[in-house]
Amino acid sequence: MLRIHTSSDLFSKKLITRFSIFRISVYAGLICLGLGLFRAQLLMGAYFRNLSEQNRIRLVPSEAPRGRVFDSKGNLLATNRPSYDVVAIPEDITPAVISRLGRLLGLKDFEVRKRLTAPREYPFAPAVIKEDISRTLAFQIEERRPELPGVSIRVSFLRSYPYKETASHLIGYIGKISPEEYQWLDHKRYGLNSLIGRMGIERIFDEKLRGMRGGRQMEVNARGELIKVISERMPEPGEDIILTLDLEFQSRIMDLIRIRHASVAVLDLASDSVLVLASSPAFDPNVFVAPGNDQIRLGLIQSEEAPLLDRGVGSAYPPGSVFKLVTALTALETGKITPETRFYCKGLLRLRPGGRPYRCWRQQGHGSLNLYEAIERSCNVYFYNVAKRVSPDDIAHYARQLGLGERMRLEVLNIAPGLVPDSIWKKERFHDKWYQGETLSYAIGQSYLLVSPIQMLRLVAIIAKNGIYAEPHLVMEDTSRSRSPQRVAIREENLKAIKRGMIQVVESDYGTGQLARVDFNKMAGKTGTAQSPPKEPHSWMTGFFPATDPQIAFVVFVEHGGSGGITSAKIVKEMLHIWKELYVAKAA
Amino acid sequence: MWRRLLKDIHWPFIFSILGLAFVGTIFIHSAAYHDGGTYETKQWFWFFMGIGAMFLVSMVGYRTFLSLAYVLYAVAMVSLIWVHIAGQTRLGAQRWLSLGPIAFQPSEFAKMATILALANFLGSHYRWEKENRIILAAVVLCVLPFLLIVKQPDLGSALLYVPMLVGMFFIWGIRYRYFIGACLAGLLGAPFFWGFLKGYQKERILVFLDPSRDPLGAGYTAIQSQIAVGSGGLFGKGYLAGTQSQLQFVPEHHTDFIFCVIGEEWGFLGAIVILVLYGLLFKTAFAILDHTTDMKAQLLITGVIAVIFTQVFVNLGMTVGLMPITGITLPLVSYGGTSFIMTCVSLGLISSIYQTRSIF
Repeated sequence: MLRIHTSSDLFSKKLITRFSIFRISVYAGLICLGLGLFRAQLLMGAYFRNLSEQNRIRLVPSEAPRGRVFDSKGNLLATNRPSYDVVAIPEDITPAVISRLGRLLGLKDFEVRKRLTAPREYPFAPAVIKEDISRTLAFQIEERRPELPGVSIRVSFLRSYPYKETASHLIGYIGKISPEEYQWLDHKRYGLNSLIGRMGIERIFDEKLRGMRGGRQMEVNARGELIKVISERMPEPGEDIILTLDLEFQSRIMDLIRIRHASVAVLDLASDSVLVLASSPAFDPNVFVAPGNDQIRLGLIQSEEAPLLDRGVGSAYPPGSVFKLVTALTALETGKITPETRFYCKGLLRLRPGGRPYRCWRQQGHGSLNLYEAIERSCNVYFYNVAKRVSPDDIAHYARQLGLGERMRLEVLNIAPGLVPDSIWKKERFHDKWYQGETLSYAIGQSYLLVSPIQMLRLVAIIAKNGIYAEPHLVMEDTSRSRSPQRVAIREENLKAIKRGMIQVVESDYGTGQLARVDFNKMAGKTGTAQSPPKEPHSWMTGFFPATDPQIAFVVFVEHGGSGGITSAKIVKEMLHIWKELYVAKAA
Repeated sequence: MWRRLLKDIHWPFIFSILGLAFVGTIFIHSAAYHDGGTYETKQWFWFFMGIGAMFLVSMVGYRTFLSLAYVLYAVAMVSLIWVHIAGQTRLGAQRWLSLGPIAFQPSEFAKMATILALANFLGSHYRWEKENRIILAAVVLCVLPFLLIVKQPDLGSALLYVPMLVGMFFIWGIRYRYFIGACLAGLLGAPFFWGFLKGYQKERILVFLDPSRDPLGAGYTAIQSQIAVGSGGLFGKGYLAGTQSQLQFVPEHHTDFIFCVIGEEWGFLGAIVILVLYGLLFKTAFAILDHTTDMKAQLLITGVIAVIFTQVFVNLGMTVGLMPITGITLPLVSYGGTSFIMTCVSLGLISSIYQTRSIF
């Protein structure tokens, strides 16, 4: 009893001690704060009051130089050039200075005032009066600084795209952050007037390219002159990005299609690297970054030519006869035909006697054809007959196997997913069942089907690689990171049959793509002429080269370009000559 | 019933709370009327909601809350996880959940729920029964919300769990050797822990320790808030007449930096009034602590005081240059619905401890 009693006594005594320790620490903390306030407000009060009245502490952020973008051969696609900007601290400016500055810069007084009152990130942060002035003017202002208190010259970086429209859709451009965006971004990395990627690589890799901005905090005297730097952090430059693109190839392709609304893409089959991804008409991204140019920018955005649209990636079109490759594969895989299955083409086909005629592009008909000849001559009636044996859902299944109807992983914004219709889709979209006539149109790449040129490129790349999946990419990857090659669920013998047909398209004298034929090696391809009434049809050609052991896959698409076998095939031929010059001749 | 209720209220305690909240609200007006926001009106709403909640809680009694402690704790953890999934990101951190028109901050709720859970847990175990296991379990109770809040990321709020746990262990009666051992382990383990952090997390902690590493952010704020408070002098520049805070040299001047506005406009005298009000709040809370014999109640009061005191110390300390800049609000004074109401609720619990003291 006695022991318990003493221990609980001890415990309560101890508890009291602990209570008082706790209490004393809290009061001691409050007294510390009181002393801190005493020091800050009474002992140093006059000093701080002086600082506050003169607003002596200034903060000047400095932007990090943005990372550059290179092509695979080390050409600079996006870089920075120095720009001399006139800046002024509005709080230090007197009306006399405004008009003096206005005269020097050729600006009206109200324009200078407008710049001075623009929102800023910190009080006493410099406002930009005029960007990118000439070097001589910059020196002039620097010399006259005594009469221009508060004004200074700042050297900043201006983004520059030396090759202008050559790869404009891919590289994109940067622009000033909007106040709404600023609200939601990390203020450590994005200032009120920071630039941010708006399109293409510039936007997708903005985080990587932008680096970390720095700045200095300094004490100045009443005239705004530096007394001492309180603290400073150097900006960290952004990282560079290397693309798989070949600038020379790309720019020569751009020359080929400059006058058209067209897109050309070339893929290196060994690495899935995009060598060329050209879209015309293009735009000069420099107009978006250089000051002024508002009219040109507006013109670009509003133009009916849609120069900002990447026709290779961002838009989907009916593929026309190119799609017959998918129809053929569907029928072969489901065992509905063999390559030797023959159908007779008399120029048209009716589903019922007296019904609507489904026509072949060759009015007099192709006669009896097997699958190879049907691909070679792009016979519609042959594929109408195939369509009678397969279901639209089977076609859709194989189209999706080959990567149609889905968004690609390519490092580009606004990728068009395209559309692969099937009976369920039709039910949901039109509340109607799928008609057999629609399968006939589907089989020759018309109906509701929409694909983007880059999707067609991947499709032929998969055929070229005998069914190994292709995932085109634009940014140079670590070679160490090797992915295990995935196969599509299509038998190799069927792909080989399709390939044989594709070779005949170019190499046979009956082939629709013979205009693309080159004399230094055999090519496999498929043309397409997709109806797009009331205008001219879209012209397609896609394929790979050389026919055996292919190195590249390509796609050419010309919006309202007429026949695929003419317009696109000619571009393919020239494209291959350029490729030979750049890759084969140099290697030899 | 009302008479009895009012008779048992500890009036100096209530006076200090009302005083702080009142001064806070009028300075929220001063800080924010330039921005054209409706912070002040909203804060009056929170003021009445909070005071109402406080009386309601003290009527219900702290024992009910203690018996629900684990339920509340579980709800808090779920809402902290939920904020990671569906929370709104503001200024780069995910802290808010929207409940209709109200943005709710689960970390504030979690703080109180953890105090309740710890008080209930530690209070129902004596230290001489398996001390090691109890300590371990209590640490786990704290580490869970701590990590979830660090991930938001809100390092400042998360670090409040440290004084909470330390204070409650101390009053619970943890042996000094454990206490000192834990401190040493913390010091020795720090470099090890450091290795696990990612680059940006390290940077954040380095800026926390040395604001001059970040002249654009915390470093700038540190000096501007000192200038604001310091320039107030003895009498201040007068209500609504502050220049530093009004000119927006100091960011977040209606929340984390509300004390800058008070220090600048009411000077040293106004700052001392705030300190004295907090002193009164702590003094009365200690008095209640002395008068209760319920271990759980003692622990509850300790947890609440430890957290509020730390917030006051860090928040005021950073405006006078004693503490690094962190996003910690000044309890009862800063703008913020969830934080104000949760502080009121926890003080309501203390008030109810005073009212139920006569049970013995």
